Amino acid sequence: MNGCGLYVHVPFCDSKCGYCDFYSVALKGRSAGPLVTRTIQELGLRTLGGAAIETVFVGGGTPTVLPIDDFRRLFAALDGVVGAHAVVEFTVEANPATLDDQKLSVMTAAGVNRLSMGAQSWHVDELAALERLHSPDDIAPGVAMARRHGIGNINLDLIFGIPGQTVQRWAESLRRTIDLGVEHIACYGLTYEPGTRLTAQRAAGRVTPCDDGIETDMYGVALETLAQNGYGQYEISNFARAGGACRHNMMYWRNRSYIGVGPSAAGCVNRRRYKNVADVAGYIRRMDADGMAEAESEHLTREMFAGEMLLMQLRLTDGLDVTAFRQATGLETGSAFGGRLDDFAERGLLRITEDGIALTWAGTLAADWVIAELYAAMDLSGAESQHVASAIG
Amino acid sequence: MTDQRLIRNFGIIAHIDHGKSTLADRILERSGAISKREMREQFLDDMDLEREMGITIKANRATVRHVHKGEEYMLNLIDTPGHVDFHYEVSRAMAACEGVLLLVDASQGVQAQTVANAYIATDANLEIIPVINKIDILGAHPDEVALEVEQVLGLAADEALFVSGKTGQGIDELFAAICERIPAPGGDRAAPLRALIYDAKSDPHRGIICHVRMVDGCIKRGDAIHMMRGGSDQIVTEVGKCTPKPTPMPDLSAGEVGYVLAGIKTLADVNIGDTITHEKHGATDPLPGYKTPQQMVYCDFYPGPGTTTQGLREAMERLWLNDSSFTYGPTSSDALGVGFRCGFLGLLHMKIIQERLERESDVSLVQTAPTVTYEIVLRTGEVVTILSPSQMPDPSHIEEIREPFCRASVIIPVDCVGTLMTLALERRGTQTGTEYLSKTRVMLRFEFPLGEIIYDFYDKLKSITRGYGTVDYEVTGFRAGQLVKMDILVNAVPVDALSIIVHRDKALFRGRRLVSRLRKEIERHQFEIPIQAAIGGKIIARETIKGFRKNVTAKCYGGDVTRKRKLLEKQKEGKKRMKQVGMVSIPQEAFMAVLDPGDD
Repeated sequence: MNGCGLYVHVPFCDSKCGYCDFYSVALKGRSAGPLVTRTIQELGLRTLGGAAIETVFVGGGTPTVLPIDDFRRLFAALDGVVGAHAVVEFTVEANPATLDDQKLSVMTAAGVNRLSMGAQSWHVDELAALERLHSPDDIAPGVAMARRHGIGNINLDLIFGIPGQTVQRWAESLRRTIDLGVEHIACYGLTYEPGTRLTAQRAAGRVTPCDDGIETDMYGVALETLAQNGYGQYEISNFARAGGACRHNMMYWRNRSYIGVGPSAAGCVNRRRYKNVADVAGYIRRMDADGMAEAESEHLTREMFAGEMLLMQLRLTDGLDVTAFRQATGLETGSAFGGRLDDFAERGLLRITEDGIALTWAGTLAADWVIAELYAAMDLSGAESQHVASAIG
Repeated sequence: MTDQRLIRNFGIIAHIDHGKSTLADRILERSGAISKREMREQFLDDMDLEREMGITIKANRATVRHVHKGEEYMLNLIDTPGHVDFHYEVSRAMAACEGVLLLVDASQGVQAQTVANAYIATDANLEIIPVINKIDILGAHPDEVALEVEQVLGLAADEALFVSGKTGQGIDELFAAICERIPAPGGDRAAPLRALIYDAKSDPHRGIICHVRMVDGCIKRGDAIHMMRGGSDQIVTEVGKCTPKPTPMPDLSAGEVGYVLAGIKTLADVNIGDTITHEKHGATDPLPGYKTPQQMVYCDFYPGPGTTTQGLREAMERLWLNDSSFTYGPTSSDALGVGFRCGFLGLLHMKIIQERLERESDVSLVQTAPTVTYEIVLRTGEVVTILSPSQMPDPSHIEEIREPFCRASVIIPVDCVGTLMTLALERRGTQTGTEYLSKTRVMLRFEFPLGEIIYDFYDKLKSITRGYGTVDYEVTGFRAGQLVKMDILVNAVPVDALSIIVHRDKALFRGRRLVSRLRKEIERHQFEIPIQAAIGGKIIARETIKGFRKNVTAKCYGGDVTRKRKLLEKQKEGKKRMKQVGMVSIPQEAFMAVLDPGDD
């Protein structure tokens, strides 16, 4: 039996960025204590089962904004989990400006061995457009501080396609990130998610999105520059030096089991998917009343699982694992997609080998469309979700 | 039994919104047929849809009593619809009358349907009483309107009545005029029974209600009757009058208007316009019937999400039993599955049928663009009627193509003549006459190809005349024209459902317009999509939909999976309602784009 991942969501930030659609609230003036208490409580319940936890990822929000006492309590609890399992990768998300020696010591003492930092850009105006609170000058010191504490695996997130960004300025941000010698770099095209401030600004005409031709060029520049510097692409937006791929995220992309803890966290264990209430007060209320705070859950049918394998694994450079697909679903890739695979291969969008089905460079640029077309071609009859529990208001 | 001398059968005809239903309500109320308490606005409009749209669709009727100069009269009021699409119902209702009240709005004056309805009444030899209505409202100029009526219709201005359906002013004089000026019905009560079925309605509890005008003889419960055209025999289970609620009576006799129940189950078993006589000692000659309404506008209905073909079929059958003015037959399409090709009298009629289907049977519909019918004369001399451009035979077999024409009267303010003439020219209209109604208003007569005006002519007219213009039309027949079939190719593949039949002179313009509309309706795909308009293989217009260069979402983690999968499911569902042509998905809206005549 393969191990599973553990995700802990800390829903607090100093302030919310305009493009962000993760659940988070500003911590200012609140007490984080009651939430941390319930999160530790859920962590205990969720890790009671037999599943072997292989990776831990603490994300948010910005976990490092927690007051030191709450931070200590959370990581002491996580230390307990790590001690009881063979955890190989323990990542915490951080903002370069919120790192300090005290918190780094707490983290490393608990076994944290990977840090993921939102650098996003090396240009003040671009960071302002993204409503980030840090400055480009915080990035290198943040990395250096982490290194001093012995963190050997660091990821920096970058965003391209920012309104007003040029290909040249993007290349500069890439260059300076590479120069820091981090193990992992994630390059995200700016996405206008429904319900975000950024999307509202675009609708109101106050923000003009980057031309999709220019964005394509930026993506191309990223692939080329990163490859030249030893960062191999392993997922649409993720690049790593040899052996540096994020094992925790691979759990998602390979459709493995993972436990989610905290408000809005999602988990999927043995094909049962759940999502917690995305509201701090609601989460606390449900934890106290029911001992759990799931807003929804469903059992994935074989066909639903096949659809999820398609949509997650095609994002990987290695593509959909044909053998795993057959074992997990009993379906053959050749017939499961209504014979459309060959259409896309002929158009140079897919690469089909005996082991895997993967997007080509052209296919990667059109990934959403290719996945939607293949998904629509799948015969999912009888794939209605079986709802076993639903939200209690 | 009412003395035949004291019966008056009359209708009210008017342009839409000239207050017909309100006046009918006032008549019912004044005669005591319904109490103030029962009085709902527009009592005779009993379909929800009619009440909502404020128009009368199916003709209704009521019988009221009125004492005039010491004698009690029986007044049979037959309400009629006002919209052009329902001409046939107006004619049918008039065949049951000896006279009509021609209602004209005192502020708006004579309008297109005032004229059209007055002509129908004249053709039917009815006594016409001009009634100038809404004299209480601001801007009313009843005397001028009475002069317009005289000018246009030759009905003496000094014989016009002035009323307000709203306040009741002038209603007493109106009752007097009905009694004095409309002739009593003829007919022989001793002669063999002849009753004209002028309308029929389906009632869920009582079966089919036949509304009849008694021409000769007498009918009562228990009579064995014979349908002279339909040929069936029935036993009468009830006769009565609408007062306006159906009220059983001992009998109905010549000159009267009422209803007959005879155990008939479905509307399909009744021919409207048929003559009822007795099985024994029956009449020998039936009364003249009606022309069956001619469906001129066709479109397809397909089952929408959540509706099955069978469910839609049952809904259509149910509605048809209640209203046989539309036709339907099975059809199928690669993209939309099995559905029905339906024929309508006009666009409003189509809209009403669609809404009634959705409302009364709770089905969802996907509707294709409406088209008119065409007659194709083949080289062999054979004439075929096609209901959609896709049925067009190969051009090498075609001798000529004929399209339906109509005669239209348009009444507009004088200062709008120039703009109207431009619109009429764009729509291939030929002017055939001009009459001045007054110094400020004029009536223009045109002949138009029906296909040029069914879609949006009315809206255009309203907009160029600031709402003052009105139009009425009547289909006159088919005429040969320089017509061609224009095909649309999407990504080099011809799409049947997007083909249109268009006049040669307008083909280039329409082609350009259409491909430009389609460019907006079809979403960008991952590749470039050419959209072309072609006539007989020759490309006359082209647009290109640019391909996306990038279409990939950056992030996808554990928390996004459900949302992402649901999005894909939604897209999959959405694709079902699109037509897939090769790798291109064409949305429903694109199929409606072919309607746009392209003048603005």
